[in-house]
Amino acid sequence: MEEEKKFVGGWGKGNKMGERRPEDICWKERWVDVGSAVRLLDLSAMSQMQRSFSIDLPSLRLPSRRETHLWYILPDEVKSTSLLKRYSQLLSQTEKDRVDQMRGDELKKNALLARTLVRTTIARYQTNEAVDPRSLMFKKNMYGKPELDWQNCNVQPLHFNISHTDSLIACGVTVHVPVGIDVEDKERKIKHDVLTFAKRFYSADEVNCLATILDPEAQRKEFIKLWTLKEAYVKALGKGFSAAPFNTFTIQSNPGGYNLCKTSEITANPLEETKKCNGGWKFALLELADSHYAAVCTEDDQADEGAPMRVIVRKTIPFVEDQLILKEYFCN
Amino acid sequence: MASLSTTSLSFKASSIKSTRISQVLRKPSSFQSISFGRFQSSKSLRLQISCAAKPETVQKVSDIVKEQLALSADTALTAESKFSALGADSLDTVEIVMALEEKFNISVEEADAQNITTIQEAADLIEDLVQKKPAA
Repeated sequence: MEEEKKFVGGWGKGNKMGERRPEDICWKERWVDVGSAVRLLDLSAMSQMQRSFSIDLPSLRLPSRRETHLWYILPDEVKSTSLLKRYSQLLSQTEKDRVDQMRGDELKKNALLARTLVRTTIARYQTNEAVDPRSLMFKKNMYGKPELDWQNCNVQPLHFNISHTDSLIACGVTVHVPVGIDVEDKERKIKHDVLTFAKRFYSADEVNCLATILDPEAQRKEFIKLWTLKEAYVKALGKGFSAAPFNTFTIQSNPGGYNLCKTSEITANPLEETKKCNGGWKFALLELADSHYAAVCTEDDQADEGAPMRVIVRKTIPFVEDQLILKEYFCN
Repeated sequence: MASLSTTSLSFKASSIKSTRISQVLRKPSSFQSISFGRFQSSKSLRLQISCAAKPETVQKVSDIVKEQLALSADTALTAESKFSALGADSLDTVEIVMALEEKFNISVEEADAQNITTIQEAADLIEDLVQKKPAA
């Protein structure tokens, strides 16, 4: 029939998911365990099209406040040409044009998967009725950050942010507060000397911290972690890189977690440079698929200041399967 | 499209630039609008009246980009090639800028660094900075 990817039986550990028989072409009835809620899809009340999206894109409970949902795709796991064709049918013309602009098949595929991940994931959070991923509209804020144009389509006002590397594409979703994410390959080699790079772009405190790490490999890894955290912050802030040059803020690594310190030069005297480390932003740093660092940054809601961020990570292949990877609290 | 005319002209412009500019100054009324930088000029004359970078600068930038992004030697890059279309992420862009700073002995502002999206833009910025450097 179709050269669908063979279903690998079993779902994430700790996830109570109903058994699915590999020979099922579509999901007729599913028990979906998301968090502690168990929900049976009521298919009888839906139209034909809604039913098709409901079956293939099971809906999701919205993230609660203080929660970030992190979804990722591993491009190497998506090989079916019919599936990729189905994905390309979800994209807007502008998105298709951008995919075509990418140089090379791998980059084209990854660009396609990125847009697919965004559209299908956001469509699933629409709790009122099944939403066609194609109908979602996006806009950019005044600084160029992509956002869901939720006013023009009848959808929940979610925040999202996407990041990709050659081998992993991730999308973070929140409600209430902006989110920024960044992923990097753990083994990514920096062409320049790490400290030279850091001195050029990072803050003085971060350089000092990196300089204390003597093992070059450990230093490189810490550099990458800092990069993802700093990128995640700038992306969560959503005002472009010039609003928060990397050397104007420090990501402080504490036993409990990560903290943002903004350098404010009140006087011309560098000795009087003060640093505000009272947060306003929450951070989480995770490892995904044993191969990538992923940083998540969300704005602190005033009511939630100091409360930990909860992150729920799922790996997905849209229309095929989800796998719950972890649920964890990240403190600051 | 725009990119094709821009590419072909930006290579020629550096040699004939001075002639054209003097023509422009003599007949300002023949132009609906005079454009600078990277925007299309009026239809009567599709010319970039800007300081477009020399071909050798574009070539040097291309070489650095190829190296940073580990592209094969026969990858065809043009001045209009976009970093993002070649698979460059923000870390790549910053490394490219650092390599360009070393190669051309210039210093790029972070805001400028993040705004570079094509090889042409990088080359233009480099030449601008090289020109502005105080004489040794």
